[in-house]
Amino acid sequence: MIQEVRVMNRPEVPDPAGKETLYEIQQALGIKSIRKIRTAKVYRFEGINEKDAHLLAQKLLAEDVFQIYTLNAPIIEDAQGVVEVAYKPGVMNPEAASLMKAARDLGVSSLLAADSSREYGFYGEGISSEEIQIIVDRLLVNPTVEQVVSQKPATLIIHGRPGQTQIIPLTKMDDQELLTLSRDKLFLNLEEMRAIQHYFQSIGRDPTDCELETIAQTWSEHCVHKTFKARVIVNGKEKAPFLKRLQQATAEINHPLVLSAFVDNSGVMEFYHGWAICGKVETHNSPSAIEPYGGAMTGSGGVFRDIMGTGQGARVIASTDMFCFAPPDTPREEIPPGCLHPHYLLRRVVAGVRDYGNRMGIPTNNGSVHFHRDFRAKPTVIVGAYGILPKDRCQKGKPRPGDLALVIGGRTGRDGIHGATFSSGEMTERTMEVNASAVQIGHPIEEKRMSDAIIEASAAGLIRAITDCGAGGFSSALGEMGAETGVRVWLERAPLKYPGLKPWEIWQSESQERMVLAVAPENLEEVLKICRGLNVEATVLGEFTNDRRLLVTYQGEKVCDLDMEFLHHGLPQRILRASWKNPDYEEPALPLPDDWVDLYCRVMGHLNVCSKEPIVRMYDHGVQGSNALPPYGGVDGDAPNDAVLLTPLYGQECAVVISHGLNPVLNIIDPYYGSLWAAAEAVANAVAAGANPKETVLIDNFIWPFPDEESLGALDRAVDACVDFARAAGMPFISGKDSLSSTYRNKDMVLKIPPVLCVSAFGRLPDIRKTVSADFKRAGSFLFVVGKRDPAEMGGSVYYDLAGYLGKNLPKIDLQALPLVFQAVHRAIAAGKILACHDISEGGLAACLAEMCFGGNVGAKIFLPGGVRPDFFLFNETAGCFLVELAEEGAAELFAGVPFLKIGITQQERQIIACQGEKELFRAPLERLKEAWKKPMQKVFG
Amino acid sequence: MKPKVCVLRTDGTNCDLETFYAFAKAGAECRLVHVNRLRNKEEKLNAYQILVIPGGFSYGDDVHSGKILAVELTSFLKDQLEEFLAAGKPILGICNGFQVLVRTGILPGRRIGEISAALVSNDSGRFECRWVNLRVENTRCIFTEGLLGKCLNLPVAHAEGKFFTDPDTLQRIEGQVVFRYADENGRPTQNYPLNPNGSLNAIAGICDPTGLVLGLMPHPERFVEPAQHPNWRRFPFCSEPHGLAIFRNAVRYAKER
Repeated sequence: MIQEVRVMNRPEVPDPAGKETLYEIQQALGIKSIRKIRTAKVYRFEGINEKDAHLLAQKLLAEDVFQIYTLNAPIIEDAQGVVEVAYKPGVMNPEAASLMKAARDLGVSSLLAADSSREYGFYGEGISSEEIQIIVDRLLVNPTVEQVVSQKPATLIIHGRPGQTQIIPLTKMDDQELLTLSRDKLFLNLEEMRAIQHYFQSIGRDPTDCELETIAQTWSEHCVHKTFKARVIVNGKEKAPFLKRLQQATAEINHPLVLSAFVDNSGVMEFYHGWAICGKVETHNSPSAIEPYGGAMTGSGGVFRDIMGTGQGARVIASTDMFCFAPPDTPREEIPPGCLHPHYLLRRVVAGVRDYGNRMGIPTNNGSVHFHRDFRAKPTVIVGAYGILPKDRCQKGKPRPGDLALVIGGRTGRDGIHGATFSSGEMTERTMEVNASAVQIGHPIEEKRMSDAIIEASAAGLIRAITDCGAGGFSSALGEMGAETGVRVWLERAPLKYPGLKPWEIWQSESQERMVLAVAPENLEEVLKICRGLNVEATVLGEFTNDRRLLVTYQGEKVCDLDMEFLHHGLPQRILRASWKNPDYEEPALPLPDDWVDLYCRVMGHLNVCSKEPIVRMYDHGVQGSNALPPYGGVDGDAPNDAVLLTPLYGQECAVVISHGLNPVLNIIDPYYGSLWAAAEAVANAVAAGANPKETVLIDNFIWPFPDEESLGALDRAVDACVDFARAAGMPFISGKDSLSSTYRNKDMVLKIPPVLCVSAFGRLPDIRKTVSADFKRAGSFLFVVGKRDPAEMGGSVYYDLAGYLGKNLPKIDLQALPLVFQAVHRAIAAGKILACHDISEGGLAACLAEMCFGGNVGAKIFLPGGVRPDFFLFNETAGCFLVELAEEGAAELFAGVPFLKIGITQQERQIIACQGEKELFRAPLERLKEAWKKPMQKVFG
Repeated sequence: MKPKVCVLRTDGTNCDLETFYAFAKAGAECRLVHVNRLRNKEEKLNAYQILVIPGGFSYGDDVHSGKILAVELTSFLKDQLEEFLAAGKPILGICNGFQVLVRTGILPGRRIGEISAALVSNDSGRFECRWVNLRVENTRCIFTEGLLGKCLNLPVAHAEGKFFTDPDTLQRIEGQVVFRYADENGRPTQNYPLNPNGSLNAIAGICDPTGLVLGLMPHPERFVEPAQHPNWRRFPFCSEPHGLAIFRNAVRYAKER
């Protein structure tokens, strides 16, 4: 018997969840018949009687002060329609465990299972059932993880018998059969399938399903980056593999502060006082495309675990998020079949990042959102994380034979099976159907307590090695940790969320919030005690050996027995052909604008320029009390800064700087200069806040269409740009990731995303007092542009976009001049000479100036040099250039040897006045500019 | 002798370290104590002079914010808490800690198990992370001694922070309102986002009738160093960051008792 408790707010108490849903229905769906929505929570309990259900309702579920409840009866009775939305069975509802715990604490001991869901009551005139169906389909229910509940379920307990291990008759298959086996499941090519076939032929047996899945996971693009390791023939000439080029540049730079590059779960550099800092940036495009909330959550959770699993364990101190979507107002009919609308995607991805970071107590304080219509099939969702750890425990640990493999954290379910292989494949209209199990709902509290346990165990020196269970689950974590030693696993020991999993599913499951520790046997008891004290489940799953075999049994049956050598080195190196020819876009001949103020407002209101503050306000960017330069500051708290500065050691002045840059639009024109731009932008953002370019390192993220010859050619140019930038700036890449599957394909169309290179920069600063913010500090100070820019290079600019052009002549950053500019700006800030500094990016000098004015609540008067097109001068977007506010003249000294130009002064009057020679071009009131700049995201987020 | 502060934590607590630091800076000796250690008697609450329940998402804020921890405290630690209260020792609840104190009944009525108010979803329906102005009211609250009439600048970061109760209770606790959301002139306000959640009577923090228990939604522990303020570069900012006085007052009180 299941007891149902329904809870809702008293009629006189507002219902913000209902209001929020109503806003979306009216805004995003345009349905006007609904006037009001009331929501209720539904709780279900199995194994208790009515008396206990009343007790739970009164003591736990419904607070009499503002709520009412019913038991086994409807609660929303006067609505025109009621819909209940619940997680599907098997999708773990994070709230269930809390319900069980609280019931136990209240002495209700017979409870067997609990669940919760939400009911929506629709009020209005003439609401049609079609309208409710649209609301359900487009807004309330993501069929990947949710469903409408129309009747009381018979049970909440998921039953099932353990599945069997199967033998796959691989050795006898012909090529066609090999390909069929690979498709939708293994995502390997014929050559790779043949290599596997040969291996099993040579050992004279067929593989188990578990073995095949293990190889497919280990060899997946996601895990092994075969494109980045492939031999590449570019326009007929062989070049070094991409990864090698990047790593070689890092090795040559030989940066004195780098402690660990490309070997651990994140890159590590030296901090101060015996500490190190580390950074990792990940993508979560494929899951986010089909279930944005769960996808973004697991993306955040995964990258946090990468930090937690660095060295012998690190504490996460920051989270970053960079997204690319189609414009939120894209007409619905332009969205390809099987894809979700960007308005929904944007809101749900933001909600996922918000709920994971906020609940774990990790400040999300650096990020950006970019829009281009070619992201309408597959968005780009990038999440980064940074951490701090003791320098003497910052090197990747190695398990020793005899060490125990301890799995800690959440339990294993059918979640995310095939995540690693799935995210390596192209997206099609079948993706939502076939790979629905690849996403789950994250459980940040599980991860938080696991993090607490790791930090405690690490501090006590109890962890030999640690890694997270990300893509590929145990298979990936143990296969990798035991690569040099060998590992023996007893799979039946794995704690499960519910019965019924096949051994290979347990092995491959990507259930989140799990990590694997290598612990010396003598330390086991101590680690278990720490875990118990923090409510973290811990189980010895296996033991590291010295036979270099991956041996997995399930209740005595051998389900996987592979040679580590073959598993990790048997993958044939790919040879890939790439070619590149710059596309020939038209360079427009635009007339000078008639209405400057209107144009200025349109630039400020462009999706790639406009304020993203409504997103940032939903992220807790102040938790941990470390923020010393917030995402938005200034007089009214709404003016953007370029980077985030954190002081993670309380009471110390030393700081971490974090920033990033990307510009997918420029990559369409030329991925070389587009990528240089991204790197320059990342570093310029850090330098604008005061970072020392000599103590800054980089992280790369390539999010690319599926690597056909042309896209590979583009990738080749982007990698070269990274290498050239790193060498010129003396700044190494110390971590990176590629995700090369952002092509959508169905029978009618192929849609590639604009290639994305996201460069993240992080570094250290000795003294937080020697940093600046972007808001103007006073009226009457002097304004200078510092950096080299050719105003005619307008290709890919917002200004061109507003005129309907992409253009061809894109900003070509000068790698000779750039490092000198960075040094000069850094020196001037460190010397305390600069009042405010902001880097120039999308929207150009004009947008930069306006944002600085917003921050100071002051205006500015600027004088454009003669002989230059004023529109180009104002809206050119060359990265690596800065607008600085100085209290006094003296720029000649500060910026000796680098290009700089005095352009004006700040003024009390709250408008921006631009003149060229004798002529006044315009006077733009700040208020109008600000309104235009704030409007787009206010519209999306309400 | 430094007073000992019990920084209570559990699954999902996440403002414990900065709260620890704030009390340490104010001159206390702090200890992070997991609720499990109080439940299994490894630790005793009466060994401490001050109890603070920091911010975060205890047990994921499932059901209601702070509810699961409140149920746990009410079920297992009622005696220890009552002893602590009876001994006249100060208790501070910040953000999630405030929610817990209200859901145990310690605030506003100082009666464990009698819930008379609630912190409900923000009117905006969203998590709100922003800095607010707080007017300090005239109360018996020991945490705000010497601050009467001042306007403090502190951050809020919560999704369920709207103070709500019935009209009678609202009237009854008027003298226990310690902080109100205020505009730039220090006047209490219902206007969003100055009042970030729509709290009745602009209530941001309350104390119990004795003034020994304080709960507030804003985070004083996030402003105990000058550089924590978002605009510290604009002013030669106050030498005493606004949150610090609250911790100093508690420490001084505990010392002088």
